[in-house]
Amino acid sequence: MGLGALGRNLRDILFGAAYGRYQHELRRQAVELTDLFMLLCYLELMGVPNPAAYYLLEVYPLLFDEFHLWHRRMGIEHSPLGSLPCC
Amino acid sequence: MRNLLTRQILFFGGKGGVGKTTCAAALALGASRTGRRVLLVSTDPAHSTSDIFQKPFDGTEREILPSLFGIEIDAADEARRYVDAVRARAQALFAGRTAARALEQLEVAASMPGMEEAALFDRVSRLVADQANRFDLTIFDTAPTGHTLQLLRTPQAMMAWLHALAHSRRAMLPDDRQGTDQIAAALEDRIARLDAFRARLTSRAITGFVLVLVPERLPIDETARAAERLAEAGIDVGAVIVNRVLPAEASGEFVEARRRQERVYLLEIERRFAPYFMVRVPQQPTDVHGVASLEAIAAALVGGPPSAGRIAAQTGGQADR
Repeated sequence: MGLGALGRNLRDILFGAAYGRYQHELRRQAVELTDLFMLLCYLELMGVPNPAAYYLLEVYPLLFDEFHLWHRRMGIEHSPLGSLPCC
Repeated sequence: MRNLLTRQILFFGGKGGVGKTTCAAALALGASRTGRRVLLVSTDPAHSTSDIFQKPFDGTEREILPSLFGIEIDAADEARRYVDAVRARAQALFAGRTAARALEQLEVAASMPGMEEAALFDRVSRLVADQANRFDLTIFDTAPTGHTLQLLRTPQAMMAWLHALAHSRRAMLPDDRQGTDQIAAALEDRIARLDAFRARLTSRAITGFVLVLVPERLPIDETARAAERLAEAGIDVGAVIVNRVLPAEASGEFVEARRRQERVYLLEIERRFAPYFMVRVPQQPTDVHGVASLEAIAAALVGGPPSAGRIAAQTGGQADR
């Protein structure tokens, strides 16, 4: 085992020791952060004015897949925004 | 107003009907005569600039006179062009049915209110950003005061949102995607460009706002408010043009009565706009239409050949700043 691999293993062990039991909580937080971002992006389409909406237009195609995952995770089979077609 | 010609960007604003377009066109003409490469930008959908120069203007720059270029921005056109570009990128990104859905989604998003104003702002900010590479001076002839102030304040509101979005995006990204995420990169690129725009807009050395008014009650009040708002936004008022002042040689009982009233307003203007460089432009005997009639006003604004001296400028307020 080279020194680099040893270092990596050590790092993984320490990481697991430190974060292992928080993993679930961290994942939940990550999901919340994602939801917040998606909400900020699609506010305008829910009728809340967003001054940056114009520049978000170029972001929407990039977000298309994430939007789908998002509304699925929300437990909604089809696009929750009636006017916003997705699937 | 020769002192103002050292700046790179001038915005003309004022109440509707006070002669903004005429003054902007005259200054552009005068500046181009000093050998500067000048771009005159009209955001007015009424095509007044085309009328004055008696040449068609459109969305691409055209040389109207030697070293004087003109462009007329149409907000609806700009919005369409932007949506088309985004659509093309979406099409390149997806295939088949997904592409159709993505495009449908885009169509809905593109129909929201405020798209045209945002597109206009975007074009103005790009012209400001590229300005230095292509022209010595760019003059924006803007819509009446309220609209323009809103336009120039747009970046502040937008910035707050873009920062929130970029921050939120960064927060949700796992470490291994921080470097490659196109969305975060796109948002941060916009922030950087808006920052650059604001830096140029609020630099006294680069940008000046020219307020145009006539010696009448309502324009005075509106102009004073505009000056306050501009100060709040950190934009320097480079000059105040008092347009359509009765010429000294005009006479007659009727004219004298008007002059007495005008004197009151002129005094008020001197008092309320004392901190600014001020220029008076006399009322012309005929409508301003065509290059020849612009000459007299250009001479009043930047000085010119003595032949135009009959309608000489009377400058008030502070001398060169």
